[in-house]
This record gives sequence, structure tokens and C-alpha cells, in this order.
Amino acid sequence: MALVDKHPELSRYLSEFEWFKFLREQTMALSEIPEMQLQVKTIDSLLSMYSRIIDAVEKKKPFLASYYCLAPEIYTAMGLPYYMVMQTPFLASSVPYLLQDIDGAEEMGLGNDLCTAIRLAIYYVEANLSPLPTCALNLLYPCDGAPLLHEVLKRNERWRNIPMFAPDPPYYADDRSLHYFAGELRKMVKFIEKHTGRKLELDELKKAIDNSNTMFGLWDEYNQLRRNVPSPHGWGIGGPQCFSQAWVYQAGTPEGVDWFKKLVEIAELNVKAGIGPVPEEKIRLFWFDLLPFGWVFEFLPWLESEWGAVIVMDMFANFPYTMIDTSSEEQMWLGLAKRNLFDSPMVRQARGVADNFANDIRRIVKDYKIDVVIWPGHMGHKDGSATVGIMRETCRDLNVPFIHLGLDLFDKRYSTPDQIKDKISQFFRAMGLG
Amino acid sequence: METRIKSKVFEQFSEATSTLLNPVLKDWKKQGGKIVGYFCSTVPEELITAAGLAPFRMRATGSTSTEQSDAYYSSINCSFPRHCFNLALTGEFEFLDGVICVNSCDHVRRIFDNWKRFVPGTPFIEVMSLPRKTEAAQVAWFRDEINLLRGKLEKHFGVKISDAKLWKAIKLHNETRRLQKKLYELRKQEKPPITGAESLAVMVAGTAMPKAQYNNMLRALLDELSGIEGPGDHRARLMIVGGILDDPAYVKVIEDQGGLIVTDSNCFGTRNMWIEVNESLKDPAEALARWYVAERPSCPRFYGEHDNRTKYVINMCREFKCDGVIAERLLFCDSWLVEHYMLGQDLKAVGIPMLKLDREYITGAVGQLRTRVQAFLETMGR
Repeated sequence: MALVDKHPELSRYLSEFEWFKFLREQTMALSEIPEMQLQVKTIDSLLSMYSRIIDAVEKKKPFLASYYCLAPEIYTAMGLPYYMVMQTPFLASSVPYLLQDIDGAEEMGLGNDLCTAIRLAIYYVEANLSPLPTCALNLLYPCDGAPLLHEVLKRNERWRNIPMFAPDPPYYADDRSLHYFAGELRKMVKFIEKHTGRKLELDELKKAIDNSNTMFGLWDEYNQLRRNVPSPHGWGIGGPQCFSQAWVYQAGTPEGVDWFKKLVEIAELNVKAGIGPVPEEKIRLFWFDLLPFGWVFEFLPWLESEWGAVIVMDMFANFPYTMIDTSSEEQMWLGLAKRNLFDSPMVRQARGVADNFANDIRRIVKDYKIDVVIWPGHMGHKDGSATVGIMRETCRDLNVPFIHLGLDLFDKRYSTPDQIKDKISQFFRAMGLG
Repeated sequence: METRIKSKVFEQFSEATSTLLNPVLKDWKKQGGKIVGYFCSTVPEELITAAGLAPFRMRATGSTSTEQSDAYYSSINCSFPRHCFNLALTGEFEFLDGVICVNSCDHVRRIFDNWKRFVPGTPFIEVMSLPRKTEAAQVAWFRDEINLLRGKLEKHFGVKISDAKLWKAIKLHNETRRLQKKLYELRKQEKPPITGAESLAVMVAGTAMPKAQYNNMLRALLDELSGIEGPGDHRARLMIVGGILDDPAYVKVIEDQGGLIVTDSNCFGTRNMWIEVNESLKDPAEALARWYVAERPSCPRFYGEHDNRTKYVINMCREFKCDGVIAERLLFCDSWLVEHYMLGQDLKAVGIPMLKLDREYITGAVGQLRTRVQAFLETMGR
């Protein structure tokens, strides 16, 4: 009996596995460019994560459904693989059936104004297309959509008997909030221990955090290299891959450290040689969101080739990189709380008051010599879209052009790539750029 | 269905609902009283009352445009905060001596950020951190939030909010809840003496004047309504479920088609008053925290409570002998979209018909609404 017949909930997961295997073998592995070779390693780590989940389902071994911003170093330390219920939109939205699944969600009665990432995840759960974990760690931030998705999980007939825990997020970024959230993380660990039979050894946690600290340090180093003109890399490699390694596929592992070392090495060579992703870098962009993963190839190469416009920094590539103090257990919990709640990408901007939207723009525009700040205005990012005035004013103060696009990062039918290209071209022309 | 209540006190309620600074608040101001606006029914208004201030639930009644606020919000944002913030920018909320926000939803919570930066002259503006869960740790967190806000109110307004004062306010607000519940009891009748639109006007007015005065007026209205029968010319009895619905005109459109709204679960309705704050605890802040976070009927802002919310709707439907449910939501509201998605399935399983309606904050597209409601009533065989 085929695995998918026995476990229909794995069907999308298996398709994604095959899709990435195809991408690896038919495209990336054929190239000798160092960046592409590193991409192969990225895909290998992704495939390894998929394999671990598939293996866990098949052999009834414990695994988790969780999120990047729920302290994945803990799962590494406990030897527990995890996947994100929102994995497809976050990490696999190049799959060829994405639009079909978006339509499936709409037909299910989820309308078309709820964030597509959330709609897709609800669709996968309701249509039995998400692996059923040993236990689930549900996410209640940074937006309204996240708790709602997990409310659906709690109600779904196949999921409702799966043990679930959701750390509660405070709204502020002060010491009281930090201690409160650290307390929630401790409860989360007790919950995982109870339901998986695994115990968290503090030595293992320390090891995972040490690795993770090294990765974040290297990531920071890499970002320093991106300050150079020209930037050693554009959209093709950088933020999303670093994010996937440090927060998802290789969180707290030595393999993740190696990956980052290689990335820094490649970027350094480019900087020394004065090489960037385009022959002539004309416009340096700060793309303040996820990249448009659902139609990335139809848009981002155009930005570089048509305008010499390079995404030097994006929302998922830059945050404070605070090292976690591993000198005591208490410090480790506080450090994990801070990193996951106050620092982690998207969460740091969207969860609490809007200050980080403005602060991040100020910091990144200055540090990375940004010519244009793009707020893509993803249809699901409603708190961000309610902050557009604050971002615009911030950019005005900095004397840097700001554009709000209005698109769906996953569904190219919302605003088509051509419409977005046209909007950007008109803006660049009006600003005398390029 | 026309408004049938001929009553001076009802007219006052109606006026309070159709304006922002109503005559009662104007008098309060004239006598040196201060008014504090608050967003969302999760802000403990008892605290404002205990500080000797008049609580005012924020609305954008009378707004006709979002021209100015559109520079700060975008087209994918809910029209409620956009209209509210527009009124703030045009000075319509200058009568407020303070504003308290809460991280209720992605749209409304940004009012705090925008107001703080772009609306000069509001002397007191704060935001509360509301938990997502309803467990003991979250009650404790919110109790601390209440005490922190208590300290800030004391400091800014130069008052002392003692436990005794807070208990007095809780008792006063519980009295409001009891009186409002009596109003709803009348709606259980076969021929209710008050329509859903009229009831909504009474409920909204309760958030726009000092509670002591409101309670007196509501007592008078209840006296006038007791023993009276409505015409009973409706086609169906309905429950309305959703978020911030403060416009009786919207409900009237539904009722004009023959669908009498007899009960609700919405921000101005039963969720605020069906259960009282426990007066037997030692600490008033703890009593409020328990009520606001864990005890009262919740809205989808709270995680893990959907099953309880569905039970609440089904029980209310049974108690008020409803034939169906109208599930309304403001466009772009994620919380109510997903809640209605699940509720629709739950109600289908128990044979309660439900109509989902999306709307803008300012009532419009009345023709479409009429047609949808008519079709719904017909599907129900009414």
C-alpha cells in the first residue's frame, strides 16, 4: 500500500518533497555558481526536514507542528522534528498547485480577504492535507489570522484530539512581558515533554542555543557585507534562505552553522571582487515584507534586469540578532523569550505597537544606503497596512522615497505581476531613479 | 417594521445613539465632568466610572468619509477604525479627555499608534495588553493590566481609585447589566414590545453616558414597556451575531423585511451583560479581570473558546425561540470571518439556518441587504 493511501494527510507534503527534489536535481545541481551550490545545500536541508516528518508519520515517531517563532532550538535539543502548518505559503509556495489550493480555500467558504497564507493553511487542515503531529504548538501572534487558524485546528475533527498548547503573547516589549512569555515557554516545554515522552536536557538546549547564536552572529556578519555597494547579493539568496536555515530547517544545528559560514565566505569573495547580482546596481531597495513567493520568478528578476534595482534588505533578513546568554537556565529562557517574541522577523513588527515599523526603516535605510522603501502591502498584513501612514512619515523624515504597492504575496491574480511592474516603473520614473 | 415606541426616554436613547456628544454628555461636561473614550468592550469601563469619569465607547456615528484617515490606513483595513480615525483627525473627538485603546484586533489596535502620533491634544492616551487565552495566568496578567491602568488614571486625573470606589462602580455596572437583561427578557415574548433596532439604540446609549443616569432612564423605559405587546407582525425571529454593530438603521433594514431580531451576540449586546461581574471576591481588579478575560461570553478575539461561543449562540437561539441566525461582519475582519465559517457548520449540524452578511461600518448597499434577507427568510419557509 502506498504511503499516501495509508496517510492521505501526507499527499501535499509528499508532492512538495518531490517538487523540491525535482528543482534540486533538474536545475540547481546543474549549476557551478557558488550561490547555486549553496542553494542545493538549502534544498538538501529542506528535503531532510521533509524526510524526517514523513519518517515520523510512517514509523509513528513523535514530531511537532509548530512555528519558527516558538523557540525551535528547544525541539532540536529534544530531537523532535517540526513542521509549520503554514509551511506551504512560507517555504514552498513555488509549488505548481498553489493557485488551485487558494481556489479550494475560497470554495470552502473562507472568502478572499483573509490572508492567503492563513486561508491556505486552514484549507490544508480542513481538507486533510496537513500531517497530523504528535502534538501541536499553536501560534497566537503576530496577527489576528494566526489564532484563528489554530482555532480551526482545535475544532477540526481529525485534529481536535491532538494535544495542543499555545503560548500567550503580551502586547508590550518590556521586562514584565519578557518574564511572562518566558513563563509561557516553560509551560510549553512541560507540555511537549508530557506528550512526546522526550525530556529537555539543559545541556542539549545550551548546545542548540550556542549553535543558534553562532548562526545569528554569522547572519549578522553576512548582513554587514550586504551594506557594500554593490551589495554582494540581491533577492536570489539572502534573507529567505538564512531564515529557513536559522529558524526552520537547521535551527540550533552544527549543519546550520556550516551553511552560514559558506554563505559569508561566498559573499566576502563577491565584495572583494566588487561583484553584485547585476552588472550595474542602480537602485537599492528595502522590501519590507516576505518576498512575493507565489510569483517570485515572474517579478524579482525583472526588477534587477529592467531597473538594476536590487533588494538589499527585506523584512525576514534583518532583526537585532541578540545573542542568548547561556550562563544560566533563567537567562536562557529570557533569551529565548526575547528572540522569539521581540526580535523574530514579522513578529517584531506586527505583534505589538507600531514602533518597530518606524525604527526598522530608520535603521535599515541608514545602514544599507537604501534608495527606496517598498511596503508591498500584502492583503493579509492588515496591521501593517494600518501603519502605512507611520511608515510614509518616517520615510519623509529620512528623505527616502516610499511606495505602497497592494498585492498578495502568494496569489498573482490579486494584483498581476504586470500591474505591479507598471506601478513600480511609474514610481521609479517619477522619482528620477534608475 | 416601523419604530413603535412613543416615549421621551427612548427618544433620548435614540439621540444618544445617533450622535457622539449627546445632550447628557454635554451636561456632564458643562458641570465639569470628564469623558474618557475607549475602544472595544474589553476595556474595563468600571475603572473609568470609578475614577469619576464618564466612559464613552468609541464609535464613528455620523461619519461620511475616510478622506483624511486614508493617508494612514489602507483599503484593506476595516472601515470602523478608518471612520473613527477620520473623525479624530477632523476634531470630532475633542470633547474627550482621554482615550484608552486595546490590542483587540489588527485594525483597531493601530488606532493607538496613529492617534498618539497624529492627533495632537489628547491629554491621556493608553493601550492595554489583552491576552489571547482565558486561563488563570491570563486573568492574572489582565488583573495587573487593570491595576497599571488604574495607577495611570489616578496620576493623570488626580483621583484615587480605592477598592471601595471600584466595587461601587462594579455594582453600578452590574445594575446596568441586570436592567438590560430585563429589556432582553421582554424580547422573549411572542410579541415583543421593542424591536431589535430599538433595543440596539438602548444598548448603544448605555455606552455613551454616565451609568447612574443611564440606569435611571432605562428603569423608566422598562416601566413604560412592561405589560405592552408588540404587533407580532414579523415573519421570523432572528439572532444577530457579530462584532461592532452600533447602527440601528442596519438592523431596521433586516426587520423591515420581517426578520425580527430578538437577541444577539455582539459588542453592544448580550456579551456585555448576560453575565455579571462576581461581587463576592476580595479584589475588585481580580473580579474584573476574571469577567473580562474568562467569564463572560467571549468574542473570537479569544483563542480556544469557539466551542463555548457556539454553545452560547445555540442556547440563546433556544431561549429566545429564534428561527435563524444573521452572522454579520465588517469587511476585512479576519476574526469574524473565520468564526462565522465555523459557526455556520456548527449551526447547520443542529438545524439552525444562518445567513452570512459582510458590511461596511457606515450602512449602505441597503438594496442588496434587503434582497439577501428576503431570500434568507424565504429559504426558511417564512
